[in-house]
Amino acid sequence: MLQLKHVSVTFNEGTPNEVRALQGLSLDVKHGDFITVIGANGAGKSTLFNAVAGTVPVDRGRIILNGKDVTNQPEYRRSLDIGRVFQNPLVGTCPGLTIRENLSVAAMRGKHLGLLPGVKRKNNEWFYQLLKSINLGLENRLDTDVALLSGGQRQAITLIMATMMKPKLLMLDEHTAALDPNAGALVIDLTVKLAEEYGLTVIMITHSMHQAIAVGNRIIMMNRGHVLFDASESERESLSYHDLIERFRSLQTGDELSDRAVLS
Amino acid sequence: MTTNNVSKRILRRVPISGFLVRVLVTTLIVGGFMKYFGVSIGALGQGLAYSLVGVSVFITFRILQFPDLTVDGAFPIGGAVCAALILKGTDAELTLLYAFGAGAVTGLITALITVFFRVEGLLSSIIVITGAYTVTLRVMGARSNIPLLGERTILTPYQKEMRSWLIENYGREMRRHSNNLVEIIVFTMVVIIVLLVLNAFMHTELGLMLRASGKNSQVVRSFGVNHHLMTILALMLSNGLSGLAGSLAVQQFGFADVSLGFGIIVRGLAAVLLGEVLLRPHSIGQHILSAAIGMIIFDVSRAWVFAALELPTTDIRLVSALVVLTALAVPNLIDRWREWHKRRVVNRRKEQGQLDVAAKAR
Ligand SMILES: Nc1ncnc2c1ncn2[C@@H]1O[C@H](COP(=O)(O)OP(=O)(O)OP(=O)(O)O)[C@@H](O)[C@H]1O
Ligand SMILES: [Mg+2]
Repeated sequence: MLQLKHVSVTFNEGTPNEVRALQGLSLDVKHGDFITVIGANGAGKSTLFNAVAGTVPVDRGRIILNGKDVTNQPEYRRSLDIGRVFQNPLVGTCPGLTIRENLSVAAMRGKHLGLLPGVKRKNNEWFYQLLKSINLGLENRLDTDVALLSGGQRQAITLIMATMMKPKLLMLDEHTAALDPNAGALVIDLTVKLAEEYGLTVIMITHSMHQAIAVGNRIIMMNRGHVLFDASESERESLSYHDLIERFRSLQTGDELSDRAVLS
Repeated sequence: MTTNNVSKRILRRVPISGFLVRVLVTTLIVGGFMKYFGVSIGALGQGLAYSLVGVSVFITFRILQFPDLTVDGAFPIGGAVCAALILKGTDAELTLLYAFGAGAVTGLITALITVFFRVEGLLSSIIVITGAYTVTLRVMGARSNIPLLGERTILTPYQKEMRSWLIENYGREMRRHSNNLVEIIVFTMVVIIVLLVLNAFMHTELGLMLRASGKNSQVVRSFGVNHHLMTILALMLSNGLSGLAGSLAVQQFGFADVSLGFGIIVRGLAAVLLGEVLLRPHSIGQHILSAAIGMIIFDVSRAWVFAALELPTTDIRLVSALVVLTALAVPNLIDRWREWHKRRVVNRRKEQGQLDVAAKAR
């Protein structure tokens, strides 16, 4: 359902600050995949999401979503099929609007905007149940300004907003990093449940190796703008937590060595 | 000992009692109105005419978080269009709509420059203001001033009746206030209608998306809406309101002038800030209303300062600046004083507690 063909993203090209965040990355995501993505800080994981969503332009390569070339489509057009939770908990919700208003904005995905009421009474029960499912007590605070919530609470609401209209592709960027262990576990369970229930294709970035192994059907490790390895089915089954840690370690020491080699 | 305690408690209470502050403020306001009645109702009429500028600035600066100065151009264009059309014999009521349209087009141009050429909002609005000056002159037929003497405006139909009603009921002395009273009544009607419509709009799907777009455009894009369209819509709405305010002001003054918009953005900002500081609004409707009321408060209190100090009108700029400064500084100082006071009370309790412990130990 999603193909990336030799996608490159470079920031600040031609300046001393040039960063080649994605370097000819190729990836083929199948319908119904639940992919976990791991990789060191700065590996380009978030940039991969931004390229797919259209938040950053790509220099080279093509992005094909549902058989359609979307490489040059603006972000707001692609987003009809894409639900996203951002790494930064503050990016996914609108401060100054209440929880109910935020959910109402999310409920307008793909709808024609008109002069009907923006907050609809018929959605009240739906919103209540959605918030109840994350068990943070937010169902009783629907009219609270989102700016007054904690980062974790906002992130949980972002997940609801991203999934409630059942997008085809769901991209989660460390969406449990800001949550306490209980809420984090709950949200992961919820993510898996929603993915199954709605038949979503999910790509989930995580720094937790346990999580990467525990959920999904495919693991991708990224490094320096490349896919280092891509394990699915049987290969993934045989991959243990320690294998993964080992690979992660070797990748980092390897880099250090090569850096030193270059510098000396 | 007990009386001492009681008096202490009262002293501690008095300065922070919100009720007393409110009583004091109300007394001052009523007193000001009684003492400077003529001045006050004149300023009230003007404040009402300009109040939509406050709302306009609220939409761009607060809802959209877009520093738009186009108001300085949209306001005189609205006034000029209104005056030119009235001279041509158009219904005065209808000219309000045209003035809104003219302001909206001005805002549209700023929005397009910003969106298509990626020019910063501040810059593109300065470009538009500069060009708008010429457009205003053109609309006014290359004159810098159009008098509306003897023309029918939205105010004139009621002036005669108001005068005779005042003379009948309150004596000849009140006659000179009749035009002001008509202004207040007519403008209040217009402003209330506009604010009600605007408030309703802000609660529609489009209005909600517009508010969301200003707070966080990423969210809006993530849910399939082009945030540039929201920017365009908001700028048109905002400057349309300024154009409308311009047409009200022109009909109040009885003339249109190219220099009418000069520095109007500052007044709009002052209105928004005053409204927020003094009325502490929460909901979107309250915010819109307090931006409008902020303008009225600004105009009336400025008029009082003038009347009380018997200043020449040439001092208007400095007085404006000082009025805004006072309104912003005083609540801040009160808050800080409260904070300080609370800390002092807590400290005193702590000391007392330690003394008690020491006494017990002994
Ligand atoms: N907007 C930007 N401008 C300039 N450089 C950027 C920008 N966004 C990302 N980068 C750079 O691109 C590289 C990849 O960043 P990215 O955010 O994709 O990393 P990541 O894998 O998500 O890391 P983390 O695990 O820390 O979130 C980094 O070196 C970063 O400095
Ligand atoms: Mg990241």
